[in-house]
Amino acid sequence: MASELTLSVNGAKQVVSIAPDTPLLYVLRNELKLSGPRFGCGIAQCGACSVLVDGAEVRSCVAPVSSVVGKQVTTIEGLPEVWATQKGLSATDAAKTLHPVQQAWIDEQVPQCGYCQSGMIIVAVELLSKNPNPTVEQIKDAYTNKPPSPHLCRCGTYAAMIDAVQRAAKVIQT
Amino acid sequence: MNVTRYSSSSTISPTLTRRGFVKLGGVLMVSFTFPRLSAHAAEVQPPTSSTALASWLEIRQDNTIIVRTGRTEIGTGMSAFYAQVIAEELSVQPEAITLIMGDTDKTPDGGYSAGFRTGAANLRKVSAYTYQALLGLASKKLRVPVSALTVTDGVVSGGGKSIRYGELVKDQQFDLKIPVSGEPAKVDPDSPNGVSGLDGLVVLGDPPLKPMSQYKFVGKSHPMPGTPGKVTGKIQWSCDVSLPGMLHARMVRPPTLGATLISVGAVDKAHFPTAQVVTKKNLVAVLSPNEWEAVSAVRSVAAGTKWTDWAGLPGSENLTKTLRAYKWDKPSESRGNTADTAAALKSASRTISATYEQPYIKHAPIGPFVAVADVRSDGSVTVWGHSSNSQGLRAHIAHMLSMPLEKVVVRWLEHAGQFGRTTFGGDGAEGDAAILSQMTGKPVRVQWTLQDDLAWSASSPGWVEDIKCGLDSSGRVTAIQSAFYSPTSNDARIVGAILAGMPCSHPKTGYWIATEWAYDKIPNRLEDVYGMPNLGADSATVGMRGLIMRTPGQRQQNLAIESLINEAAATVGVDPIAFRLQHTTDERLIDIIHATAKAAEWEPRPFPHTGARRTGSEPVTGRGVNIMVRENSCWMGIAEIAVTPDTGVVQVTKFTIGVDCGKIINPRQLERCMKSGVVMGVSEALKEEVTFDTGKITSTTWSRYKILTMAEMPEVKIVQLSRDDKGYGMGSEAANGICLPAITAAFFDATGVYPKRIPLTPAYVTALLKS
Repeated sequence: MASELTLSVNGAKQVVSIAPDTPLLYVLRNELKLSGPRFGCGIAQCGACSVLVDGAEVRSCVAPVSSVVGKQVTTIEGLPEVWATQKGLSATDAAKTLHPVQQAWIDEQVPQCGYCQSGMIIVAVELLSKNPNPTVEQIKDAYTNKPPSPHLCRCGTYAAMIDAVQRAAKVIQT
Repeated sequence: MNVTRYSSSSTISPTLTRRGFVKLGGVLMVSFTFPRLSAHAAEVQPPTSSTALASWLEIRQDNTIIVRTGRTEIGTGMSAFYAQVIAEELSVQPEAITLIMGDTDKTPDGGYSAGFRTGAANLRKVSAYTYQALLGLASKKLRVPVSALTVTDGVVSGGGKSIRYGELVKDQQFDLKIPVSGEPAKVDPDSPNGVSGLDGLVVLGDPPLKPMSQYKFVGKSHPMPGTPGKVTGKIQWSCDVSLPGMLHARMVRPPTLGATLISVGAVDKAHFPTAQVVTKKNLVAVLSPNEWEAVSAVRSVAAGTKWTDWAGLPGSENLTKTLRAYKWDKPSESRGNTADTAAALKSASRTISATYEQPYIKHAPIGPFVAVADVRSDGSVTVWGHSSNSQGLRAHIAHMLSMPLEKVVVRWLEHAGQFGRTTFGGDGAEGDAAILSQMTGKPVRVQWTLQDDLAWSASSPGWVEDIKCGLDSSGRVTAIQSAFYSPTSNDARIVGAILAGMPCSHPKTGYWIATEWAYDKIPNRLEDVYGMPNLGADSATVGMRGLIMRTPGQRQQNLAIESLINEAAATVGVDPIAFRLQHTTDERLIDIIHATAKAAEWEPRPFPHTGARRTGSEPVTGRGVNIMVRENSCWMGIAEIAVTPDTGVVQVTKFTIGVDCGKIINPRQLERCMKSGVVMGVSEALKEEVTFDTGKITSTTWSRYKILTMAEMPEVKIVQLSRDDKGYGMGSEAANGICLPAITAAFFDATGVYPKRIPLTPAYVTALLKS
């Protein structure tokens, strides 16, 4: 049965009327029209649906929407604002500035088909928030060994992702 | 191929007409005409007008340029490459060009998206014809002969005067008709793939092309235009299409590939009040206005649905045995000289025979098939999807619904990389969506689950190849004879149509020779390839449907040839690179072999190496090499691996990959494609296998169909050679194929045991090393 839930998504309060066991992914995509997170496997095995919940990566395809009530949910659509807030950018600057991870993904031309890359960007943001200067091995570890599963890219853009994480790390540290 | 060839070019010429003055927005529009030539006039039927509305290229008054092509971005960079190629011929900046791709009602040409070389050849000519027309207009306007005009960034200059393209068309509309051949894709029982016209239109004639040595934009790393939208969430993917009144559907598939429906389970209306079940023969779906309700309701419906039993597959562990036992008909294709090859093998000092094999593998995109269809009461149909052959898909859908082509529109949007599974326009969720929309009278979105996709999409079939070579007394190869056996790989029939018992295309069973011969100094060869129907083809749902996958055919056949060459080199005690150089005079190949060997710091030494061993708990290392000639490109791959004999774990530590693909269009994008292709190739060599029991595919999650992770990726070193005098090659595809024989050769170098099969899983490796 539907319940009225109040969520905080990309810095804004959202009230949705929804069955509490609905996975967060369906709420983000169909109720809030945020198409950044994507349906890949539905069983937390690929990472295409990843979002940040209070700064930690969560697979939104299996996380019930009720589990994020009272927490901050961030999708790739909300990353520029996270960065602007972090850096105290003016409204004018904020409007034309992407999060350094997103900008690095463009500068390094990471996406091929790009379908998995929303989740990949989320992992990079989480990693750099904890470890501002990760080694290649630490980057590989973050994308491969963290539960519940490795983040999978079928196009095979892993090398480009490593380049982009290192590029973003330099920007974030300056 | 369905291309009409002409004996004369004298009647193939463009025509430029001025339609008159317009109040707003002058434009030069480029569309096509079908030249009537006496020899083949009857074959050149223009498409119906309603399927050929779109102009190909438009030069607009505001100096913007619109280019439309039915070919699409498939993740390799086409959207950047096309703009670069067009910019050269038009002498404009690539940024001035807006590319519209894939929509059948907005693009004129059709064609498969993998075919960049044919697509680029077309658009180069379209642009070159347009350039000549623009020069003609400028010549009149400036009163300067064409020969005295130059163009930079869309500004025509000559005689001390200049004018922008936009001003040439100001307040006027010009129509440029350029000559083409071909016809829209349609289901055709006489076509080998069941659908004709998949190549799209072909531009005729030979307009003057800019010499590659004068290029300004090709050769630079122009960014892919879609990237910002992909990293910010602003792009609309095919999974994002949402229409008013749309229903979400989840499919209830049979438990096996051949089961038929006995009875359908009921929806629990108390819990899922707006969900409904729709059935057509063996097609069963649960639909709801709410996606999560459809997802939730489908579980109980599936549990309550009864199907017949079916067990028509051999089980994946018996695949090779089954292929061996099959009564093969005559070869689908043969190449070479039977008598000379037999004689050379008979008189050889020694012969080497081997058999290589690979199981079924999957395209396995990260995003499963998804589509939206709207079948309206007025008889019009729009399908939104991510096929890499929109016109081909239109043909399948129109045929399935028994509607004329012009009633069906396919809109293309980006989605997860497909790697060839939609090249023939079929497969996918679009059929399900169109059938369900027709039945419910509402727009329907069908999202396959990962399990649906890994079980019900077509696979790249398993295969076996027998191959042998003869060596003379000096250790040179005198002949190679091969026989390749595989189930067919062109079954693009729409899954929904098959299950619902609706009209399908009828692709013909067979296979083809995919190799391009690299060894001109091997004087004799005979290649036979044999095709057979799908495994379990006599089932209601036609069993294991086979489709082409990245570097199709050649990826498989090159593994056999290159492995045999490596075994021959080892037999005669010659370094495998030196051995290859002994058997070719192709200068491009020789150059890329030397450049790649140098980058890998290859020094000759015994092969397998003196420290090779097949036991022990410590890793043993090895290296291996292979080459490939494909689509005007020469490839070389060198693998360095570590094998732990006791555990069977193989790690590819480094891969050096070199390519000469003619003129390099976009070095960075090529580098990305080479590196990522290596990831797919290593994945295929070490991990990938579709498993099935006697009724169904069982590798239906990522924990069962394993692909390479980031931590398993080798260090990849890239070598690129660009040439101005060889045209364009195909740089984005073959990188996966160039990995396989290098990795198995490296395994031999490390252990002294030559693997005859991939993937090199721990279970296979430990068994192999103990045997």
